[in-house]
Amino acid sequence: MTTLPWMHQAKFLLRKFGLGCLHAVNFVCAFHLFKENIGSPCLMDGPSMFPTFDVNGEIAIECILAYRLFPDSVRGELVSLKSPFNPNRIVCKRVIGLAGDTICVDPTGLKAPSTEHVVVPEGHVWVAGDNTSCSIDSRDYGPVSMALIRGKIVARVYPFDRFQIFIPGVTYVDQINSSYKCDGDGKGNNAGS
Amino acid sequence: MQPTFNPDTSAWNDVIIFDRFSVNSGKPILRGDIVSLRDPIRYKRTIVKRVVAVSGDVVKTLPPYLQPEVLIPEGHIWVEGDEPFHSLDSNSFGPIPLALVDAKLRYIVWPLHRLGSSRRPETIARERQQQSRVTKVPSTSCHNSGVTQSSDS
Repeated sequence: MTTLPWMHQAKFLLRKFGLGCLHAVNFVCAFHLFKENIGSPCLMDGPSMFPTFDVNGEIAIECILAYRLFPDSVRGELVSLKSPFNPNRIVCKRVIGLAGDTICVDPTGLKAPSTEHVVVPEGHVWVAGDNTSCSIDSRDYGPVSMALIRGKIVARVYPFDRFQIFIPGVTYVDQINSSYKCDGDGKGNNAGS
Repeated sequence: MQPTFNPDTSAWNDVIIFDRFSVNSGKPILRGDIVSLRDPIRYKRTIVKRVVAVSGDVVKTLPPYLQPEVLIPEGHIWVEGDEPFHSLDSNSFGPIPLALVDAKLRYIVWPLHRLGSSRRPETIARERQQQSRVTKVPSTSCHNSGVTQSSDS
């Protein structure tokens, strides 16, 4: 019995299709591992970080590897974390206080009396959005565990004309005061970032 | 978690199977489940605890905790170890966000004579005692209810 020429062709096409599927699965796995362990661009949405990020349509680079290698947070850096209220949401906030700091819960007095202070417990950080009037942050859910933090937001890449690498920098209240020759105790109360 | 895992009678360390898929796919976590979660204080460690209460419940706390009663906030759970007073649990660090939960216990696979589900007859009394301190809300789901948050980046 002779093999027909179309059977050769079918076998060839089938092998090509199978290899293509394997490559696709391979690529998806590699992409997933890269996204979950090293970093990826992510779309920012929502008004809570307003002056830093626009309400929608901006893309930032989330670096997970940087957080895994250097988990010590710095005051003023941007982090992405799983929301304590809803485990399916990932939110972006700014670290305001580290473990041991005394924090004024809400200097504006919107969500808590402005005289209320808390000490951030061990292994936790205090996070806040930049847009105080429109942000759900540590004022609502208290200090967050560092186990909830996913990665650091290192740069904004889109729109291209607003490209920026975020370098954590904070201005302490007592530094401002000292320039006016006042001796204020601004320990940790630098919530006005 | 002593009466549930590694009881004094067993010569082996227990081997157990955790189910991460059901947690990631959004199935609700129920009271009485055993879960593994990231330690909120020493955040690199993983701990195994039993869920005592879900969001909306009111729990009567045990000594290390400051308030006598606590309402579990939205998206949080209250976890405790099975061995009272030898466990660093929610009585020390308060309600736990659901996002810290890593996986849910399914089966004990080793040692063979304890093979089977994690519901052990010897822990039912302990579980009942834990549940007696909880004032439950009517709906049992904690995962899918009340996630009507405002948009927030």
